[in-house]
Amino acid sequence: MTGLAPDKEPFGWRGLLLPLGAVAGLAGVVLALVFLADSQASANVAAWFYDLIGNPEEAALLRAGTGNRLLAKVIIMVVALAVGVGGIWMIYTGFNVLVERLGDPWTRRLVPWVFVGPCLLLLTVFLVWPAISTVLLSFGVEVRLIPPSVEVVSGAGLSDWEWGLFNSQNHQIYWNNVIWLVVGTAGSVGLGLVIAWLFDRVRRESLAKTFVFLPMAISLVGASVIWRFVYAWRPGGSSQYGLLNGIWTSLGGEPVAWIQTPPLNTYLMIVILIWLQTGFAMVVLSAAIKGVPVEITEAASLDGASERQKFFSIIVPMIRGSLITVTITVAIFVLKIFDIVYVTTGGNFDSDVVANQMYLQMFQFLNNGRGSVLAVVLFVAVLPLMILNVRQMRRQGIR
Amino acid sequence: MHRTRKTAVIGAALATTAITLSSFGVAAQDASPAASADAMASTGYAELDQAMSADQPLAGTQVSIQTQWRGAEGEGFAAAFAPFVQATGINVVPDIIGTSHETTLRARVQGGAPPDMAMLAQPSAIVQYGQEGSLVDIASFMDVDALAANHANIGAYEDGDSLWGLPYKVDVKSVVWYPIPAFEAAGYEIPQTWDELIALSDQIVADGGTPWCVGIGAGTATGWQTTDLVEGALLRLSGGDVYDQWVSHELPFNSPEVKAAWDLAGEIYFTPGYVLGGNTAITALDQTTPMDPMFQGPDGVVGTEDDDLTNPGCWMHTIPFWYGPDFFPDQRANPGTVSKFIVGEDVGIFPLPPVTPDLVPALSSGDAAIVFNDRPEVRAFTEYLSTQEGIEGWTKLSGAVSAITDVPAEWYQGNYESEVASDILANATVSRFDASDLMPPTVGQGSFWTEAVDWIAANGENTDEVLQAIDDSWPQ
Repeated sequence: MTGLAPDKEPFGWRGLLLPLGAVAGLAGVVLALVFLADSQASANVAAWFYDLIGNPEEAALLRAGTGNRLLAKVIIMVVALAVGVGGIWMIYTGFNVLVERLGDPWTRRLVPWVFVGPCLLLLTVFLVWPAISTVLLSFGVEVRLIPPSVEVVSGAGLSDWEWGLFNSQNHQIYWNNVIWLVVGTAGSVGLGLVIAWLFDRVRRESLAKTFVFLPMAISLVGASVIWRFVYAWRPGGSSQYGLLNGIWTSLGGEPVAWIQTPPLNTYLMIVILIWLQTGFAMVVLSAAIKGVPVEITEAASLDGASERQKFFSIIVPMIRGSLITVTITVAIFVLKIFDIVYVTTGGNFDSDVVANQMYLQMFQFLNNGRGSVLAVVLFVAVLPLMILNVRQMRRQGIR
Repeated sequence: MHRTRKTAVIGAALATTAITLSSFGVAAQDASPAASADAMASTGYAELDQAMSADQPLAGTQVSIQTQWRGAEGEGFAAAFAPFVQATGINVVPDIIGTSHETTLRARVQGGAPPDMAMLAQPSAIVQYGQEGSLVDIASFMDVDALAANHANIGAYEDGDSLWGLPYKVDVKSVVWYPIPAFEAAGYEIPQTWDELIALSDQIVADGGTPWCVGIGAGTATGWQTTDLVEGALLRLSGGDVYDQWVSHELPFNSPEVKAAWDLAGEIYFTPGYVLGGNTAITALDQTTPMDPMFQGPDGVVGTEDDDLTNPGCWMHTIPFWYGPDFFPDQRANPGTVSKFIVGEDVGIFPLPPVTPDLVPALSSGDAAIVFNDRPEVRAFTEYLSTQEGIEGWTKLSGAVSAITDVPAEWYQGNYESEVASDILANATVSRFDASDLMPPTVGQGSFWTEAVDWIAANGENTDEVLQAIDDSWPQ
């Protein structure tokens, strides 16, 4: 269905068929979306089926809004699949056909928008608008689009921002995030780099790397549960099933409640993160290290360079791009950390982080304003890293 | 490749056809004639009586209700509404959400697709939902004065002329679990006053044991048990009026009365030698495990063959009724089986004793039904839940205590836990609802909990800072 050049298109039924088909197809997509949005519509179609096979009571129930909706749900599923697969194809192809009928200068201007437009629309609706409305919510202004309304929560104004920026408990939270950022990122990337460099010469390299990479397959919550058992505490005298306390007591100490001891608990939770993320850093950096031409390192060895000199003076500068990208990716991930803290300590014992507190404010304390303030703080904190990331990609030639 | 694709397509087509065809069969069953006649007398509620009439006009309709009740509680609730389904033909579908019940409910409400009803335990959250406009006002189709006459704590759900929640089930708190054989063998008596409780604890310490099992770990909800202890202590020391002032924040946390309550709770937590594992154990142990040492038996290890209650590692555990037998170590280890320890014969429960004989308190929390969608069948179910029959099945099955105060006393006989609970309610001179559920969520499910954890971590030495911090966190 790629368009024929319009000025060569003969006028006649074939000339009209394509654009009419495109318009009809697009109209069909819109109708299907309206059908999906209205839950009663599918029930009506199901009722029509029931009438067809001679079950008018069920049909009446469905039209009334109750009854067995299984058939209606199957109908919705079929339509949704059709719209999801065929509809998207229809949108691109249909608009492309229509735009190509417009003639050359317009075609060239509009075709890029045909292909980028749907993505931009979705991004605006699901990314840009929620960001704007969250910022407004943090100032106490609740804006809804459907139906359009603006509501100012009386008395809120800047008070949630005052709480967010000046409350001393929040300072503890921000400080925890800084610790996570510095130690977590440095730990994961540093360990990944060292492992990538060292494992380069190991005989069973892929097997060894698999073991390092395996934890990435575990969800954050699953990993937190595993490590909670490692850090578990039992009163002195009873048998310790926590690995760390088992080792500690066998060396002659009293069992320590690791998770309940600030600030050690934050660092122990960062260990969980490093355990998970090192594999990612290792894989990317290993590929980068293997990209360094072997002649350079051989030449350095011939010139008498030690391993340390080779590593710091040759390898690291040459993989600078990958190193920066990995660091930024891990840093962005670490700033948003929630699952580990939520499962391990629940935010207690001075270990709370921004994402956990945001969740508590939003869902446990039912305080949208404060939750939004923390969301905006997190957004602002991640922004410099995103800018760095984009600049790094530009420098690598990705415009 | 081509063949597998073809097979996949055929398989999908067959599956869809099968589902469609079977849906016809299921639909045919639902439209069949109504079930046999009901056994409930006319209730005086229009929608309920109409639904229960012989022709069952609402048969085939559906009411969804989101609850937190799994396992034994889920079975109890199912037994409670089974007569309603039988009598009206209305299909009641519980959405059983586990630990994230409140979060899921909030997301569903804010997303505009709430369940028809839900069971919620926090009056403050219920009133907030009502004020937001998410709930159907129960006062619009039921007589609140008639309900108030025999429904406990209904005032907590009222807001002006509106009633947002219908009290359904009551959970009595401030009870202590203890090992009956060990107490008998050692000659210990059930303490009737607080002084006797402390004396008993000292006696156990002198005899070489550790009196208290305490473990409050509950993730982000850690601290709720301590708030129960403090609330019970305030009721015991200062009575109902001071308690009410405290709940409404007329009396701040850093007042002498409230501080005295915290100190009383601290007597159990921080007296050296009282708690097994010290204050570390209190926050480090998950709330489902602290009673395990009670079952360790002669060899001193839980989970072995000789587990019994003759050699408890710790002697008393204060936690509400829902603890046993689901969390006894043998049932926890084998989820399908029932614990070999019988509540009432092996493990007993006594009420946490009063300080002075004139202030015998009953502290309780409860679940209330809230209504999101207004339809005749939803109204009928709500009205059913407001009657005695609405909980009878659960009470007869496993001793649930109804929020209705004039339920026949015989219903609670024969079930040890509900006997103890109903005795506490009957003997109380002052009865109050759990304070942390009444306070605004920022405090009641927030700073009250987290500051209690800090207080325990500091071994009770920073009471003043803790109380000040909770006061500072109270929303203006």
